[in-house]
Amino acid sequence: MSASGVRPEIREVMWTEKYRPKTLDEIVNQEEIVERLKRFVKERSMPHCLFAGPPGTGKTTAALALAMDLFGKEYHKNYLELNASDERGIDVIRTTVKDFARTVSMGDAPFKILVLDESDNMTTEAQQALRRTMEMYTSTCRFILACNYYTKIIEPIQSRCAFFRFTPLKPEDVKARVKYICDMEGVEITPEGLEALVYIGGGDLRKVINTLQAAAAIGSKVDDKVIYKIAGRVSPKELRLVLEKALGGDFSSARNEVMRLIMEYGLSGLDVVKQIHREVLWLDVDERLKLKIIDLLGETEYRLLEGGSDEVQLNALIAKIAMVGRGG
Amino acid sequence: MGIPWSERYRPKTLQELVGNYDSAEELMKWVKESMAGRAEKKAALLCGPPGTGKTLSVNLVAEALDLELIEMNASDFRTEEAVERVAGGATLQSSLLGKRGKLIFFDELDGISGREDRGGLGAIMRIINVSKYPVVLAVNDPWDPRFRQLREICHMIKFNRIRTPSIVVRLRRIAQLAGVNAEDEALRKIAEAANGDMRAAVNDLQMLAEGRSVLRAVDVGRLYPRTQEMGIFDVMKGIFSARTILEARAAAEGASVDLDMLLQWINENIPNQYTDPKERAEAYDWFSRADIFMNRVKRRQMWDLISYAVELATGGAALARRGPYRFTKYSFPKRIGILSQTKEMRGKLMEEYVELAKELHASVKKVKTEYIPYIEIMEEAGKGPIFRSAGSKESGG
Repeated sequence: MSASGVRPEIREVMWTEKYRPKTLDEIVNQEEIVERLKRFVKERSMPHCLFAGPPGTGKTTAALALAMDLFGKEYHKNYLELNASDERGIDVIRTTVKDFARTVSMGDAPFKILVLDESDNMTTEAQQALRRTMEMYTSTCRFILACNYYTKIIEPIQSRCAFFRFTPLKPEDVKARVKYICDMEGVEITPEGLEALVYIGGGDLRKVINTLQAAAAIGSKVDDKVIYKIAGRVSPKELRLVLEKALGGDFSSARNEVMRLIMEYGLSGLDVVKQIHREVLWLDVDERLKLKIIDLLGETEYRLLEGGSDEVQLNALIAKIAMVGRGG
Repeated sequence: MGIPWSERYRPKTLQELVGNYDSAEELMKWVKESMAGRAEKKAALLCGPPGTGKTLSVNLVAEALDLELIEMNASDFRTEEAVERVAGGATLQSSLLGKRGKLIFFDELDGISGREDRGGLGAIMRIINVSKYPVVLAVNDPWDPRFRQLREICHMIKFNRIRTPSIVVRLRRIAQLAGVNAEDEALRKIAEAANGDMRAAVNDLQMLAEGRSVLRAVDVGRLYPRTQEMGIFDVMKGIFSARTILEARAAAEGASVDLDMLLQWINENIPNQYTDPKERAEAYDWFSRADIFMNRVKRRQMWDLISYAVELATGGAALARRGPYRFTKYSFPKRIGILSQTKEMRGKLMEEYVELAKELHASVKKVKTEYIPYIEIMEEAGKGPIFRSAGSKESGG
């Protein structure tokens, strides 16, 4: 009796999925990229690709649409998406990736497509392992590596890929998409609401659509007030509370709050550090103190990446923030 | 002690079972279905703390159905090769003992070691897939990431800690059979101390009552100072009051708990010992360095690094002190308790996130930070999908 039996279909419920373009023709922005990808479809041939760009600019969507256009309805038989953030070890490259890449494509598909999403999170070791795999199975499989920062991809891999740079969506594109969704869903949005959405989103369409859907859930009319209210909510204000308590020297309640967040939201230590980092600049404290906190956050993130455990490293972080908060 | 009472007086039939009777029944039902080729999953995974009847149930089911039991437990080597040799052959041949069939049982899977039992889990997975006989596995902590794949292909059957009154019932019966006249209060004390572990309770009863005709409550009371926890408080004091790293390390070496537990105690008690922000931050800074070393030890089996971790953790805890040692009331690492209590819940949550991640074409990390906060708003507004609660709404409950 798994949860999936009870849950409604995600692709019907979440607007990000419902309105995700299903073919390259539907993609309204990134014209140049789309043109090049369409040529791949026409010629039924493509190189390995590197999709680089900020979050929510259509990298995954473009890969998915390309696969659907190339392979048709049964695309999933020849298409695999792996998320390097979740499965970034060398083992995955050696097993899952290899197993998929080396077997021949099904049906009349000329090759398979393997998407490595968030590939800038792959370890260098894993990238090295990938390099050989990409070469060995070129006849059966094409790789699309999607990433935010292409500089984190090792050069030998960059050199094996055609490079595509995705840029933040232009305000008019965002607006057009929002209006389209509002029409389809029967949502009324005010001009101020639309502007607020564009401002909050900063070219990240995923964020825009999620914010819009949350706003539409709250009231029938979406205006700028509700948009800003949601924007304030989702940068967890609980983490700002943690920061304020720690700075006030209340070590134990700051610590308890962090533990609660970890348990209830399943946040990792890294999630917590990064989210606190987002909050720091908006704090109402001396700018020099902020610098000290940023330094501590960076050190904590580094130690976590070195293999420190969430609980210990976060305790240490809170203790140190409590110290600098007292002018230490 | 002669034959362990837990063995000598073990129930002979399912009907005699005390506690987790439903789980044993479920196992029986599953094995029957599996033999008839009607079981949905290829194997059954029994999960629960020690002494809750997992191994016993398997034995009773095998006996009741007249099956030859092929068992491997933590005392066996469980490399890929060993598993293939012992269980692999058995899965294909008919029973040599003239039984109606076989039951393949991998007990104490928690004990499977990454290094010594290389490839063992993989071999077990393969056997599950090819076996023509039912395969049953037992594990204490099914949420260990090593068992993720296993969880997916197994029918999970949960064994809970056995309630104290049920343990008392069983202890009374055993005392009777052993000819011991035991006071109710004595049995209740033993049962309580066992904390849901029937085997531990029966062992304790044997230790206390074997060779006696009468067991009184006072006999039990005398035997139960919790020596271990007394010890650890002294160890804490020894570490935090040390003046040199050498002293701190020596205090740590006197601990009867293992190193992981000791470190959890230090982690818990740094803020108890140090309320001064500077002292507290310094102790934690050293401790966080020790933590990194411990992780390297575990990840890469670099055992030699342990000494650096111990010295940084204990020496740091001691030398962060600026003034004289202050008497401190040390506390049990309660957070660890909370984390392990909610482990199952968090495990389920994680599984749901993984599922969501697939459908949303995103990483789990992104689901947590870029989707869940919005989904929560939708849910609160009563309009959104009910992702989180979906997991708990099992079997029409």
